[in-house]
Amino acid sequence: MLENSSTIQKRSLVMSKSTSRWRQLWAALGQGFLFSVTSLSTLTVFFIFYFIAKDAFPFFKLEGFKEFFTSTHWYPSGHPAEFGAMSIFFGTGLVTLGAVVVAVPLGVAAAVCLSDVLPFNVRQIVKPVIEILAAIPSVAYGFFALVVFAPLLQNNGGAVLSIGAWLILAPILALLVVVLSDLIADRCPDAARKVVRWGCGLALGAAALTGMILLGNHLRGIEIISGANALNVSIILGIMALPTVVSVSEDALQACGRELREGSYALGATRAETIVKTVLPASVSGILAAVILGVMRAIGETMVVWMASGNAARIPEPWFNMLQPVRTLTATIAGDMGEADHVTGSARFHVLFAMAFCLLTFSFVMNLASEAIVRRSRKKLGK
Amino acid sequence: MRLETRKLLDRAFSGTGVIAIGVMALALVVILAPIIGKGTGAFVFRSTIEHRKVMFDQWGRGTPERVEADKAPAAAARQPVYDMLAAFAAELDEMPRADRRPYKTPVRDLEKALEELFGPAPGQRTPVLIRQQYGATRWDRTKIKLGELLFTEQWDYSNPDALGVLVKTPRSEQFKETSLEPLFDYVDENIEAIMRPRLTFYWQFLFDTSKDSHIFGGIGPEVLGTLYLTLGAMIFAIPMGVIAAIYLCEYAREGRVVSFLRICISTLAGVPSIVFGLFGLAFFLNTIHISDSKSVLAGSLTLSLLILPTVIRASEEAILAVPKAYKEAALSLGAGRWHTVLTVILPAALPGILTGVVISMGRAAGETAPIIFTAAVSVGRPLLPMQTLSQPTPALPWNIYNLCTEHEAVDEIRHVQYGMVFTLVALVLLLNVFAIVMRARISKKLRG
Amino acid sequence: MNAEIKMKQATRFAGQKENVLSRRAHVKAEDFSVFYGNFEAVKQVRCEFAEGLVTSMIGPSGCGKSTLLRAINRMNDLIPSCRAGGTMTFDGEDIYRKDIDVVSLRMRVGMVFQKPNVFPKSIYDNIAYGPRLQGISNRNQLDGIVESSLKQAAIWDEVKDRLNTNALGMSGGQQQRLCLARALAVKPEILLMDEPTSALDPKATAKIEDLIGQLRGQYTIIIVTHNMQQAARVSDLTAFMYEGTLVEFGETRQIFTRPQQKQTEDYITGRFG
Ligand SMILES: Nc1ncnc2c1ncn2[C@@H]1O[C@H](COP(=O)(O)OP(=O)(O)OP(=O)(O)O)[C@@H](O)[C@H]1O
Ligand SMILES: [Mg+2]
Repeated sequence: MLENSSTIQKRSLVMSKSTSRWRQLWAALGQGFLFSVTSLSTLTVFFIFYFIAKDAFPFFKLEGFKEFFTSTHWYPSGHPAEFGAMSIFFGTGLVTLGAVVVAVPLGVAAAVCLSDVLPFNVRQIVKPVIEILAAIPSVAYGFFALVVFAPLLQNNGGAVLSIGAWLILAPILALLVVVLSDLIADRCPDAARKVVRWGCGLALGAAALTGMILLGNHLRGIEIISGANALNVSIILGIMALPTVVSVSEDALQACGRELREGSYALGATRAETIVKTVLPASVSGILAAVILGVMRAIGETMVVWMASGNAARIPEPWFNMLQPVRTLTATIAGDMGEADHVTGSARFHVLFAMAFCLLTFSFVMNLASEAIVRRSRKKLGK
Repeated sequence: MRLETRKLLDRAFSGTGVIAIGVMALALVVILAPIIGKGTGAFVFRSTIEHRKVMFDQWGRGTPERVEADKAPAAAARQPVYDMLAAFAAELDEMPRADRRPYKTPVRDLEKALEELFGPAPGQRTPVLIRQQYGATRWDRTKIKLGELLFTEQWDYSNPDALGVLVKTPRSEQFKETSLEPLFDYVDENIEAIMRPRLTFYWQFLFDTSKDSHIFGGIGPEVLGTLYLTLGAMIFAIPMGVIAAIYLCEYAREGRVVSFLRICISTLAGVPSIVFGLFGLAFFLNTIHISDSKSVLAGSLTLSLLILPTVIRASEEAILAVPKAYKEAALSLGAGRWHTVLTVILPAALPGILTGVVISMGRAAGETAPIIFTAAVSVGRPLLPMQTLSQPTPALPWNIYNLCTEHEAVDEIRHVQYGMVFTLVALVLLLNVFAIVMRARISKKLRG
Repeated sequence: MNAEIKMKQATRFAGQKENVLSRRAHVKAEDFSVFYGNFEAVKQVRCEFAEGLVTSMIGPSGCGKSTLLRAINRMNDLIPSCRAGGTMTFDGEDIYRKDIDVVSLRMRVGMVFQKPNVFPKSIYDNIAYGPRLQGISNRNQLDGIVESSLKQAAIWDEVKDRLNTNALGMSGGQQQRLCLARALAVKPEILLMDEPTSALDPKATAKIEDLIGQLRGQYTIIIVTHNMQQAARVSDLTAFMYEGTLVEFGETRQIFTRPQQKQTEDYITGRFG
């Protein structure tokens, strides 16, 4: 009956002791190999920590902590050398803040648009734009900032500023005027409502317009001394951080699911109300993670700030003056190493590692924070 | 609130999103347009007779007869200029000493401006620097140099409240009623005959070594260096990354160790690129002395660490996207785990892995910070493959930085800078477009 | 219940009147359980799958049919949380013992899955995958195995001219028969089929059912199905499971005409499930 199995010699199910031992050995060896390669490549991060720290500590031993973190005098080549990195930390913070101000509103708005507004096939076209924006090498952004954008700011600074202000503020103010006049009109008796709405609208509109014109004229009068400044760098860094912010927050928005949205739509909410009142609060932690990743991208960027920030190690006056040159940690490391290299071993060499160590610690903490946020939000969504 | 207002707000809200995306697209266009527009100018441009001379003298391109035929009319058209100079020199000799004096500096300036436009005058001793042996090689530079010949520029600081104002005055005014006065009109009118502009496609820009620190020639060593660095980084990163991904997806049991490894990977992904550069310097060069000086090897290793997280993540994603059914089928046929991975899972995941690899290749090609201290120099010859183990190389990203910030004649070589940026961006974008297309094809395959 | 199992075989296949009692038990489960974590998906099942016969397993969704089936070639090993209790013997060997070679076990116990899962390789390479694992690399020998397996799965005529094209280009029904041929190429003794026709149209289903009829006798076949008619058509024996327990196991005709248990009757008559 069973020709098939009777003609062929049956494989034995039971392994001999030696075979089984060999197999186990091979499996263990193979797995051990895979594991060691994996851990080698992942534990690199500890190597990095160790070797940066190893060269950073001599600096603190030589010069202590106080001057580095509190003084603004940065003259590593002076006699005696001064290593006050305060202004450099400040510059890093300032351009990062600027980049966040550019990238977050734009990025979140674009993410909302991608996840909730645009139809599928348009999305398929927009995605590559984001990817290409992310793919352009940072040195190309830096080149653009230095060779195209900086001269533009320097030669037509006032005009650029006032056009920018108009473009950003005019629509916002117009909307604000409409909504405000509407709100005021709502409180009036029925008969007067229409008149009040128009009256308020016109009055507020006129006020906003004069304000805008005054602001525009004021901005137009500004002369930018150097195009290589914090504003320039902030805008470019913001554009560079955009893809990260967009894609991470889009993921967060999509993770909320359709049910949530449908629940809100079913109550008669408009799309804007649905998103602002239900979707955004539900995905706020994911968006926070996106912001953190964007910050990391901006803080860690070297070439753009090195080429176009002006590299002046002092705190602008007043501190929020974006039109003055600043200097950042990354640019200092990149720029000073060339000179410090010849004097390897000196504080001048080690101070750069101390800066790198600060950067590294910061990015590590940020990374853990974003991981924790993402994990918690996932738990909350029950995934 | 009124329904209309709510609707208006809703529309404004959607509009904001669309505007944001529009701004993003606009930013892309604004950034790419000058790079592509002026970058192509390094390859296709109107070259002057001087460019052809450089090509012939330095690279032996073109035949002697044709270059002579090209040169002769230009020389003929220039002759009247030199004749006028000679005539003016004679005129000066006859002047009294006091009258002669005011002309001394203007004549020297004029001769310098002429030299920058035409190259050294016939009969003059050949200058040492190559850049002084030739005039303007490009038509766009010619026009600028012509402007400098025709006008002198001065900053006027008379108004202390404003920035200085640039004032241009015709140079001919300095030589009123001398035999040099007609020179300016002559050059202005006959500049085409003098320089003989012709549209050229200089594709060798991509392969030529530069002469006299990028004043002439192309970007061959930089392109080659970037290729070496990128390929080197991939040689280290691909096996490590793919093996790590296989381990994490197929072998590791979810648990403390694996989540720890994952945190390490995401931390590695967040390390600023300049820190990778410092690590490369501190570890590969100063600790294990992988080479005596900076080298392509050290740079590649540093870059490979930088892209490792990307490769691991992309490979993990690709492996997880392989249907479980394949694995079950292989196992049910009696394949071992290892065999299943090698014969079924990896082949099916290959396109996805390749997509990630190509994208990270673009990243490796464009990164500057990690190679500053480990691999890049500004001037160098193209390396042979064996030399990459011990020698540094010029590379596109580093030289872009270097040429537009530290070069002694930044404005003279804008076209080279743009050409480099264009080449780098084109390389990276081509890789990315390739990846995007490939991914679209994969997802189509998985869907249908 | 054992008495019922060893009942006389139906006489559906002409000229094959024989005694089920005389059949050797090929696979035998004794108090066999499967756990996913703490959840007992298969509860202390006790049954024998007779050599050379077709046994079908029926039962409502989630009752543990697939889990029991996959336990026979230890496919559940893939699921980290999964563990087995009791004994499951194959040819008299307890297959959950430590020194059992899972690879040889799986070579002797072939499996066809619910969805056709051909590899994205050529038809030829799909069939040759198993034999190659066994170390057969001789081209002629492989050719022979490929041809005979495809013929056994009644698909040879349809594909013989395009053996080197990608198998993903075939229809679902063809792919499923290819999977069957691929399993046969390893020359197994047992064929496990987990709802092999649920993704197929009626015509392709009929082809697979025909094949099962032809393979009956050469292989011990265990098939999970939701299709009652299919179970009645193709199988000699039928097992009915409910919430992890084996409620009733017996000759197919008996199960479908005179079920002994109330639950079985309810299920078959469509009162639940
Ligand atoms: N990987 C798993 N982890 C945890 N529980 C599982 C897993 N797979 C199956 N189960 C559970 O085990 C039980 C039996 O599942 P099984 O797949 O064997 O059912 P089934 O009878 O094959 O159902 P169906 O007819 O729907 O295929 C179900 O309750 C299911 O929820
Ligand atoms: Mg099932």
